[in-house]
Amino acid sequence: MQGPWRGVLALLLALSFVLASAQALSPAQEAQAQAIGRTIRCPVCQGLPITESPSELSQSMLRDLREQVVAGRSTDQITGYFAARYGDTVLLDPPRRGVNLLLWLGPVVAAVLGVWWLALYLRRTRSAAIIVPDAETEEEQDDYMARVKAEVAHGRPS
Amino acid sequence: MTTQTESTPKATPVSPLKRFLPPIIAAALVAALGVGLLRGNGGQVGGPLVGKAAPAFALQTLDGGTISLASLKGRPVVLNFWASWCLPCRDEAPILRDLSEKQTATGLAVVGVVFSDKNLKAVRAFTQEYALAYPSLLDPNLNTSIAYGVSGVPETFFIDKEGMVRGYDQGGLTPERLQAGLGKIGVVN
Repeated sequence: MQGPWRGVLALLLALSFVLASAQALSPAQEAQAQAIGRTIRCPVCQGLPITESPSELSQSMLRDLREQVVAGRSTDQITGYFAARYGDTVLLDPPRRGVNLLLWLGPVVAAVLGVWWLALYLRRTRSAAIIVPDAETEEEQDDYMARVKAEVAHGRPS
Repeated sequence: MTTQTESTPKATPVSPLKRFLPPIIAAALVAALGVGLLRGNGGQVGGPLVGKAAPAFALQTLDGGTISLASLKGRPVVLNFWASWCLPCRDEAPILRDLSEKQTATGLAVVGVVFSDKNLKAVRAFTQEYALAYPSLLDPNLNTSIAYGVSGVPETFFIDKEGMVRGYDQGGLTPERLQAGLGKIGVVN
């Protein structure tokens, strides 16, 4: 190929590359970008994902995220990229490891302990209800109670 | 009647476990809350990037030149993210200026990066007000700021000669905190 043509070809290639990187995402890619964006917390907001924040930083992060989607990076790679820079606190869906495990296991452990305590409590109150009219207590009833019992046993009205 | 009241405590003996468990649980919860609250307070000295390779950058200076991290290879770097609207940045600017006066062509490099500040007039006024002789780089798309995980200025990264992030400071440098950071990249101030 002649010199000038090679230059033109290189220019066209460079131009197509620039256009490709600047062009809009396909609907599937945009959906993927939005889905990932919803799990990335805006670092300068209160609990907002970058998809809902109008801040300059969030918009820049979303643009960065879109570029990574276009580059074919996976969801894990992209969330890992932001977590490596901003820490796990940037993820609205914290990974289930380390101290974060407490977040996920805490409620389960609390529920199990609660059910266990409730079962124990119910069993104790039930057995206590059976024990109430025990021999010792009955022996301690006064004469009035004895009369009442006798009348009830004979079906006589008071 | 008296016999009934006497029998009550006999029926419900309180075990030590039952007696001390609730206060122990309450104390543990208060301790966890305290640790959680205190941990996030004040300046931070450890960041997610510490121990990792510093992200590369090539940015324009205020004067129109270009500085890249690669061009500083072999030199320890103090990379400071700042903005003209940031008040703590005004407190640390004189500290960084004093530090930059000690830098040499092959030794320590002090570099500023302007974060989320479109007002170039105010940026220039800031550098003139504090007589900042070290270069300040423009990051219009925040690409470098995001690569470094910057969310609020001032934030400072201490990068060693091999290009590894060894120290991080957020919330405004003091002479002591600067000293601590410099120590991590082998610079004696």
